[in-house]
Amino acid sequence: MDPATHTIVVGAGPAGLAVAAGLGSRGVPYTLLERSEDVGWSWRNHYERLHLHTVKQFSSLPGMRFPEHVGLYPSRDEVVAYLEAYARRFKVTPRLGEGVQRARREHGLWHVETDRGTHRAKNLVLATGYNRVPREVRWPGQEAFQGTVLHSREFRSGRPFQGKRVLVVGMGNTGGELALDLWESGATVALAVRSPRHVVPRDVYGIPAQVNSLFVLSRLPIALADRLSLRLLDRVVGDLAPYGLPRPSEGPLTQVVERGRIPLIDIGTIALVKQGKLPVLPPPERFTPTGVVHADGVERPWDAVLAATGYHPGLEELLEGASQVLNERGYPRVHGAESALPGLYFLGFRNPLTGQLHDIAREARRITAALGGA
Amino acid sequence: MAELDHWHPALKSEELRARPVGVTVAGRELVLFRAGGSVGCLPDRCPHRGMRLSLGTTEAGRLVCPYHGWSYAPDGQGRSPGTPTAKPCAEALETVERDGAVWVRRQGSSSRFPRWDHDGCYEVGRLRKTVHAPLEVTLDNFTEVEHTPFLHAFLGYNPEDLASLECRVTTEDDRVTVFNQGPQRPFPAPLGALYGVPRDADFIDHWTTFFSPVYTVYDQYWVDRETGERHPDALKIAVFFNPVSPEDTELFVFVHAVRPRWTSWRASPLLGALTRAFVHLEVMLDARMLGRLADRSTSLKGRSLGRFDKALVAHRPRIDALYRGAPR
Ligand SMILES: Cc1cc2nc3c(=O)[nH]c(=O)nc-3n(C[C@H](O)[C@H](O)[C@H](O)COP(=O)(O)OP(=O)(O)OC[C@H]3O[C@@H](n4cnc5c(N)ncnc54)[C@H](O)[C@@H]3O)c2cc1C
Ligand code: FES
Ligand SMILES: [Fe+2]
Repeated sequence: MDPATHTIVVGAGPAGLAVAAGLGSRGVPYTLLERSEDVGWSWRNHYERLHLHTVKQFSSLPGMRFPEHVGLYPSRDEVVAYLEAYARRFKVTPRLGEGVQRARREHGLWHVETDRGTHRAKNLVLATGYNRVPREVRWPGQEAFQGTVLHSREFRSGRPFQGKRVLVVGMGNTGGELALDLWESGATVALAVRSPRHVVPRDVYGIPAQVNSLFVLSRLPIALADRLSLRLLDRVVGDLAPYGLPRPSEGPLTQVVERGRIPLIDIGTIALVKQGKLPVLPPPERFTPTGVVHADGVERPWDAVLAATGYHPGLEELLEGASQVLNERGYPRVHGAESALPGLYFLGFRNPLTGQLHDIAREARRITAALGGA
Repeated sequence: MAELDHWHPALKSEELRARPVGVTVAGRELVLFRAGGSVGCLPDRCPHRGMRLSLGTTEAGRLVCPYHGWSYAPDGQGRSPGTPTAKPCAEALETVERDGAVWVRRQGSSSRFPRWDHDGCYEVGRLRKTVHAPLEVTLDNFTEVEHTPFLHAFLGYNPEDLASLECRVTTEDDRVTVFNQGPQRPFPAPLGALYGVPRDADFIDHWTTFFSPVYTVYDQYWVDRETGERHPDALKIAVFFNPVSPEDTELFVFVHAVRPRWTSWRASPLLGALTRAFVHLEVMLDARMLGRLADRSTSLKGRSLGRFDKALVAHRPRIDALYRGAPR
């Protein structure tokens, strides 16, 4: 067993890199453990067309901006390049290929078991990502379905689906964008939506939604911000109920704050819905060998079903005594500061309207300040 | 796939208002009209007695023929006020409105939508211009830089740098990519300063041509010759080549700038207008030159070709196979 270090950081995504860079520049010894063979694993494996939907000015990590020539919404490859450059610049050298299986606190130290051994430290920062474990849904009759069922995590591009009939289940940001990608790839696509969700265009009158959230909405009382944004959405999006997308009864900010439910940041999906290219259907009830029976009782034929049913952080598996620090939905109660277990910090497990990367950058500074001062 | 199986940009969105508009795409005369939130597209001749439907009107989402008042829904279903039992039907085409343009293709096709990555760029302008030259010959002009010093006002390279210019061509089954790099032509002083184009920079014109439909996407930017660092400004241009007839080609140009308007005072609306004007000018110059060619035949056989003409040769079989659907 290695001698105990000051801090163990788990996960070399944006959050883990930000903390590691901060600790490094304060001269705090740390070990960064990363399951995959590279930094930024999540971004390397996202679908190809992905761009940030938050602007680069408010999506960078502490101490380094995106390069000037990168556009307003950096592409997936530009994000990966940025993360690589960030790690180089701050000399962050994670222990790659070392996935954490379980962490527990014993005799005042954190014991972190990995595929290769055990590390010990006074402090533990978990930065394994909001989207660690795909939320797989299983439907009755799915085994007999002759088509393909896949989770959005496995989706890279719509190209293999040219000429196919594809049902996208779930209309979060991922579902909305993958439906768009599939349609552009020459597939026949429909969206199946269970519960209504707000739709916010990525840019309203040329102003990015994130900028609006940062400088207007997040500074107002929730009820007022809700009223204001609904007024705006009436004008720029209009009533989507005729297309099968009724508006939720709660306002968009209430949904974010109380349910962690982010609106659909629209980059073109809604225009296709309105033009009848992407019909919105009731959710699947069960599969048949050649298709799906939807909640309206109608069977429709599909060649493939893409489950954009989201992710969860899966922290229970990683952490002994998780129930003391996680809420009933499995997300940390305390964010960016020491949790109820001594020396334990979480970063990157909430998703505010102002952008997760923006939040990660801010909270990483708080964590490194707390650990660096200790 | 035949020509009309691919998505073609037919009109700028703002060109299609309450009145129907006639267009010619891939040799077919079509009429476009607005119907609620979508756009209808039918052959521009009435199934009744052949009237030009683009001279008609739209009423309640239906296209009304000016001759005997028969009317057509976007799906082609017709109604005759005088012969209610008649069930006329026009062959509707599929349409979609995106990127500020109305696109059309044959119903039932599963071709890909020609997406090019301009996410997060801002629009400088769109332009449509008919050139008196066949598709191949027009594409030829737009896919080599050898003409730029002689023909263009600003775009491209110096004549004395041509011989040493780097020009790399790479081909794949469905695309041809050309990378050009060489010293930037000096901009007239006030313009250079306005655009912030560095003095000692290399200009890079890097494009890829696709064939479903035929279009070329250009990345144009500058790098510092010493440090190799990229200048923040860059243009992203997509040019679609729509055959109007065997002799004429319509250019549909989309211009985007990488730098968003609100992060830089230089990328102001004025600069947008100026850039738009430059692009217009350069395209006009190309169009004029093409109109004056003595030999407009599309074949390259028997011509003496230079080192910049490699991509041109690679285009021919791909246009035939991927765009026109000829067996390979
Ligand atoms: C499709 C998509 C689009 C997004 N777009 C935006 C956006 O535009 N703007 C924005 O602000 N946010 C966006 N986000 C949210 C968020 O910013 C990103 O997901 C970001 O990558 C989160 O960083 P992270 O470091 O918390 O998690 P991740 O990037 O997921 O990094 C976690 C790392 O931990 C590693 N890991 C996991 N488990 C273990 C283990 N047991 N042991 C060791 N290592 C482990 C993983 O391999 C990974 O490298 C998006 C998210 C998704 C899914
Ligand atoms: S020709 Fe059109 S109605 Fe007779
Ligand atoms: Fe030219």
